[in-house]
Amino acid sequence: MSRLVHRLAWSFVVVWGVVSIAFAINDLLPGDPARMAAGAQARPADVARIRSQLGLDRPPLARYGAFWRRLVHVGPRDRDSDPAHASCLVVAGIGRSAVHIDFGKSFQLHQPVGDVVCARIGRTFALAVAGVCLQLAMGIAAGLFAALRPGSRLDRGLVASSSLVASAPTFLVGLLLQYVLAYRLRWLPLDGFGDTIAEHARCLVLPALTLGLYGAGYYTRIVRDDVRVSIQNDWVRTARAKGAPMARVVVRHVLRNAVIPVLTAAGLDFGALMGGAVVTETVFRWPGLGDLSVSGALNRDGPVVLACVVVTSVAVVASNVVVDFVCAALDPRQR
Amino acid sequence: MTGVLAVGAVAAFAVLGPLAAGHDPLASDFVNGMAPDGLPVGPSARFLLGTDRLFRDVFARLAVAGRLSLWIALSATAIATCIGAVVGIAAGWLEGRRAFLPWPAAAGLCGALACLALGRPGLACVALVAAAIGWRWSRPRGLPVNLDAILMRLVDILLAFPFLLLVMAIGTSVGHTSAVTVFLTLGATGWLGIARILRAKTMQVRTLEYIDAARALGRPTLGILVSHVLPNVAGPLIVTATMLVGQMIVADSVLSYLGVGLSPPTPTWGRMLLEGQDALATSPWLVAAPGAAIVLSVWGFTMLGEGLRDALDPHDA
Amino acid sequence: MMRSRSAAVLAAAAAFGCVAVGGCEDALSPPLPAAHGPRAQPRRGGTLHLASFENIRGLDPAGPTDGLALQAEHLLFAGLVDYGADGAVAADLAERWSVEDGGRTYRFFLREGVRMHDGEELTADDVVRSAERALHPSTPNPNASYFANLAGFDAYTSGASEHLSGVTAEGRYVVVFRLNERDATFLPVLAMQTLRPVCKTAGARYVDSWVPCGAGPFKLPEGGWRRGTSLRLVRHEGYYRPDRPYLDAVEWTFRVSFAAQRFRFEDGELDLLSDTTQADEARFAADARWRPLGISESDRTVLGESMNTRMPPFDNPEIRRAVAAAIDRDHYRALKPSNMTVLTQLVPPGVPGFDPQVTGQHHDLEAALEHMRRAGFPFDPVTGKGGWPSPIVYPLYDRGLLSYTAQLLKQDLARIGLRIELEIVSFPTFLAIQQRPDGAAMSQANWEMDYADPSALFDPLFSTASIGEGGSYNTAFYSNPRFDDLVGRARRESDPAARRAMYREADEILCDDAPWAFAYAYHGYEVRQPYVRGFAAQPVWSRDVSGVWVDRVERGIARALGGVLP
Repeated sequence: MSRLVHRLAWSFVVVWGVVSIAFAINDLLPGDPARMAAGAQARPADVARIRSQLGLDRPPLARYGAFWRRLVHVGPRDRDSDPAHASCLVVAGIGRSAVHIDFGKSFQLHQPVGDVVCARIGRTFALAVAGVCLQLAMGIAAGLFAALRPGSRLDRGLVASSSLVASAPTFLVGLLLQYVLAYRLRWLPLDGFGDTIAEHARCLVLPALTLGLYGAGYYTRIVRDDVRVSIQNDWVRTARAKGAPMARVVVRHVLRNAVIPVLTAAGLDFGALMGGAVVTETVFRWPGLGDLSVSGALNRDGPVVLACVVVTSVAVVASNVVVDFVCAALDPRQR
Repeated sequence: MTGVLAVGAVAAFAVLGPLAAGHDPLASDFVNGMAPDGLPVGPSARFLLGTDRLFRDVFARLAVAGRLSLWIALSATAIATCIGAVVGIAAGWLEGRRAFLPWPAAAGLCGALACLALGRPGLACVALVAAAIGWRWSRPRGLPVNLDAILMRLVDILLAFPFLLLVMAIGTSVGHTSAVTVFLTLGATGWLGIARILRAKTMQVRTLEYIDAARALGRPTLGILVSHVLPNVAGPLIVTATMLVGQMIVADSVLSYLGVGLSPPTPTWGRMLLEGQDALATSPWLVAAPGAAIVLSVWGFTMLGEGLRDALDPHDA
Repeated sequence: MMRSRSAAVLAAAAAFGCVAVGGCEDALSPPLPAAHGPRAQPRRGGTLHLASFENIRGLDPAGPTDGLALQAEHLLFAGLVDYGADGAVAADLAERWSVEDGGRTYRFFLREGVRMHDGEELTADDVVRSAERALHPSTPNPNASYFANLAGFDAYTSGASEHLSGVTAEGRYVVVFRLNERDATFLPVLAMQTLRPVCKTAGARYVDSWVPCGAGPFKLPEGGWRRGTSLRLVRHEGYYRPDRPYLDAVEWTFRVSFAAQRFRFEDGELDLLSDTTQADEARFAADARWRPLGISESDRTVLGESMNTRMPPFDNPEIRRAVAAAIDRDHYRALKPSNMTVLTQLVPPGVPGFDPQVTGQHHDLEAALEHMRRAGFPFDPVTGKGGWPSPIVYPLYDRGLLSYTAQLLKQDLARIGLRIELEIVSFPTFLAIQQRPDGAAMSQANWEMDYADPSALFDPLFSTASIGEGGSYNTAFYSNPRFDDLVGRARRESDPAARRAMYREADEILCDDAPWAFAYAYHGYEVRQPYVRGFAAQPVWSRDVSGVWVDRVERGIARALGGVLP
C-alpha cells in the first residue's frame, strides 16, 4: 500500500515536471500566438486587441499560476450557468457543485479545449487499442511459429522479415500500405475518419495495421526467445511425452513465461500511443490527439498544446504504474 | 553476418556513391531532367534513379544524404551512449544508497537552478562553479540526496515528454538547424533507453565479489567504476549502441519528415521521402529510393547488433 | 511442403508488388456526362459536394476566418454591397446608394421585404447592430481596423462611446455611413464579409456559441456544421432573389487529402476538385477529356522575394535589381503550372489595376551581373569568384510550394554571386522573423488581396505607414515618399482613369526600385464534372458556387455511358 502511495506521489511530481517544462517551452518559443489567431494578414492594431482578449498580455508567471489553479477546481454543476466556467469539463458532481477540469479555450478553434480533447481522446484510444492488439497478435503468432521450428527456413524468414518491417519508420510503412491497399487496390479508404461506425472501422484499419507491423517485430523476438528456451525445459518434454498436443503445451506452460515481458512492453506501448501516435495520425489524417498536438504546436495554440501534454504525460505515467503493479501481482518472485 | 554485409553496403554507398554519381545533387536540370509533361523523368542511363520534383539527380542526392544520415546517426549515438552510460552507471551504482551533497554545493546548485528559471544563464554558470568549489571544499555531512531516484525521475519526465515539442524547443533555442544541431538534439533525447539498461546491469554487477573486495581495499569509487564496472557492462552497451544507430537513422528521417530537420536543399533521406510522397502515383522512385535506403541501413544495424550480442554474450542467445 | 508454401507466399508477394508498382494502369476515369445539352436552362435542385484539405475555424463574419470559411460565409451572409462578376462593387441588399458630402457620406437604401434566415425582415437597425457587434472591442475581429476611417471608430473601440456614431439608421430602410475622410476604397472594403448583417439571434455582442444566421442565399440547418468534419448549407427559401439559388444544398467535407479528393471526384462523389498534387494536375491538364473542364480562378495572391531595404546587402538598390533580374520565373512556374502565373509587376494580370504596359521585372542573367558590377560586387560566373562575400540567411517554413521555390531561388542567386542559406522554421516563427525590421534580409512574402482594388496590394505591402514595430506587412521595410504620395492620392482619387495612371506609375517605381523581386501569382484551379453548370471564376470570392446548378444523370446510367460527353 505504501508502495502505491509512493509511486502515485512520484507520478504527480513527474506530471508536474513535464507540464511545467512544456509551459516554459511553449512560452519561450518564438512566434506570436495572437498573430496566429488573428491571421497572417491581420493589422497590428487588431492583433494587439486579440492578444489582450486572449490574456496573453499578462506576465508568464501569472498565467502559469492561473493554469494550475484552473486545471482542477470546484465549480457549479452546470457549467453554462456561469460564464467564468464556460470552458470547463464537469467531471463529478457533489450536490450543487462539481469538480471541473479546465484547459481553457483554444485560440484557434474558439472552443473549450476540454471539449476538443474529449471528442478526440476516444479516437486515439481506439487507434491505440487496435494498434497494440495487432502488434500482439502478429508478434506472438510469428514468434510462436518461429520458435516451434528453431533454425528452420520459416524461423529465419520470420525473424528477418519482422525485423525488416520494424526497421522502416512508421511513415514509410504507412505510405506503402496506403499506396497498395488504398490507392492501387482501393480496398480501404486512404485516410480520414469517416461518418458512420462502419466507415470509422474501415478508416481505422490502415493506421492500426501500420502501428501493428511496426511494433510486431519486438514481440516476435520476445516470444521466440522465451519459447525457445522454455520448450527445452523438462516439464515440456514430460508433457509432450505424456502425449499432450503441442499447441496445448505451448499455451499452458510455455507462453506463461512470456506473459510478463510481453505485458510490460504492451502496457508501455499503449501508454505512449494514448498520447497520440503523432506520425501515424499525421500520415492518415486520423483526427486524434497526435494530430491535435501537431496542429496546436504549429499554430502556437497554447491551451491545446498544454492539454495534449497533460493527457500524454498522465497516460505514460499511469501506464508505467499499472504495468509495474500488474507485473508484481503476476510474478510472485518480484519483490 | 547479414548485418555486417548490409552495413558495409550502406557505408560503401555513402562513401563512394557521391563520387560515382556524376551529377551535382543540388543542381536542377530543366533540360534533361524534365519529361515533356512537366514531370520528373524516370530511371534511365543518364539519371540512374530518375530525377526529383526539382529535376535533380536522385542517385546523387541519395548518396550525399546517406553520408549525412550516417554521420548524424553515428555522432548522435556517440553522444547518447556517453550520456546514457554515465547516467545509467551512476544511478545503478547509487541505487538504494543515500549520498550526501555538501551544503555549499547544494546551495550553489539551487542558486543555479533559480538563476536558470529567472532566465539568467550567465549567473547560473557562476553558481555552478561555486557549487563545484563547494563540492571540493568541505566534506562533512550535507544534504542527503538519492541521486538514483532523481536521475530516474528525470528519465521518467523526459520519456513522458512529447518528442516533437522537445525537438522544436531544442531546435529553436539553438537557433540555426545544421547537421550539428540535429545530432545534438537526437543525442540529447536518445539516451534514455541506454541509461535504463545500464542501470539494471550495473545493479547486477556491483554485487560481484571482487568489486566488494576492491571497495574494501579502499579504492576510489571512480576507479572501481572505470576499471571494474565499465568492462562488465560494456557488452550490452556496445550491442544497444549498435542498434541505436538504426533508431537514430529513423529519428533523423522523422525529424526531416515533420519539417524540423535539416533545411533544404541539403538532401536527407527523410526530406527526400517528404518531397516525393505526393508524386507516389506518377514517380514511385522518389519514395522507393530513400525508403529502401532507410530500411536497409536500419535493418543492417539491427542485425549487426544482434550478431554482436550473440558473439559477446552467448548465454543470451 | 515447406518449400511449396514459401514459394506460394513468394508468388503472392510478387503479385502484390506488381500491382503496387504499376501492374494495373492508374489512369484517370472519364468525366461523368451532364444530362442536358450545353444550351439547357438552369434547373433547380440537387446538392453540390465539395471537399477541402483544410478545416474551418468559424463561420461568424465578425470572428476569425480563413480562406475556406470565407467561401461559406459568402453564401450564408449577404451584404449591403457585393463584388460583381467583374470585381466591381454592385448592389446587393442595398438597392442603391448615394455618395454625399464630397465622398464622406454614403447613404444606402435597403431593399424592402428582405427575409433573414430566421424569417425576420432586414431593417436598417439590423445593419447598425451588426456593424456595432463586429467592431466592438470585445469581438475577436481580425479585420476591425479596416473600418478605422468610420466616424467615431476610435471612441467606440476604446470604449469611450456606447455607439458607433459613423453608422446610423434613418427610418426603417436607410443606413448612413460617415467617414472621417474621403476614401475610394470604402465600398470595396464594405463588400468584405465583416459588416454583413446578422440575425437578431446574434445579439449585440460576439459570443462563440452563436449559430450563424444571415440573409444570404443559403442557411445553416440544425446540426449542419460538424466541426472538423463537414458543413452542410441548405437553400434559404426566403432569399430575396426568388429564382436563386438553384441548388438545394452545398456540402463540404474537410480534411480530405489530395489523393482521396481525386478518388471521390472521379467516382462522382465530389463534383468539383479543387486541391490537387502537381502530379495529378499534370495528368488532368494532359488529358484531352478533362482539359476543357479545368477552371482557373483569378490571381488573388501575389508572391515575391522580399528584400529588407534596411539590411545589407539589400540596402543597395543595385543588388535588389540584380536579384529581380536573376530569378527565373518560368522555372518557378514549372512547379505547378495550373496554379501559378508569372508575375513581373505587383498587380497580376486579370486583376483591376493591371496594366500590360508596365515595364516589369524580367529574367536576364547578363543584366543581373551588370547590376552586381554596378553595386561594386562583380561576380565572374566562370571562376565563381566575387559577389557578396558572406552568406545571407533566408528563413522559410515547410508548407506548400515555398520549400521548392526557395531551392530554385538559391540556385538562381548563386549564379550572380549571392549565396543564400535556407533555414526552415515553423510558420509562426517565420512570421515573427519576417515582420521584424532586423529579422530577415530576404524572405518570401505573400499577400492575398482582401478586396478587389489595387490599393489592397499597394497600401499594405509597400507604404511607409504599414511599417510597424509590432509587426510589419511591409516586409521590405520600403519607404519612398514619392511612392507614398502617389498611393495616398490614388486612394482618395475618384476619377478611375486618373487613379489607374497613378497606380501604373507606382508599379513602375516598385519594379525599378525592387523591394520585392516579383515571383508569381497564385490562383485556385478547379476541375469540374461536366454536370456542374454555371460555375464561373469570380475575381474576389474563390470557388463561388452561388450561381451553380447541377445537371446529373442517374449514377448508374452515367457509369454505363462512361465518357460520352454531351
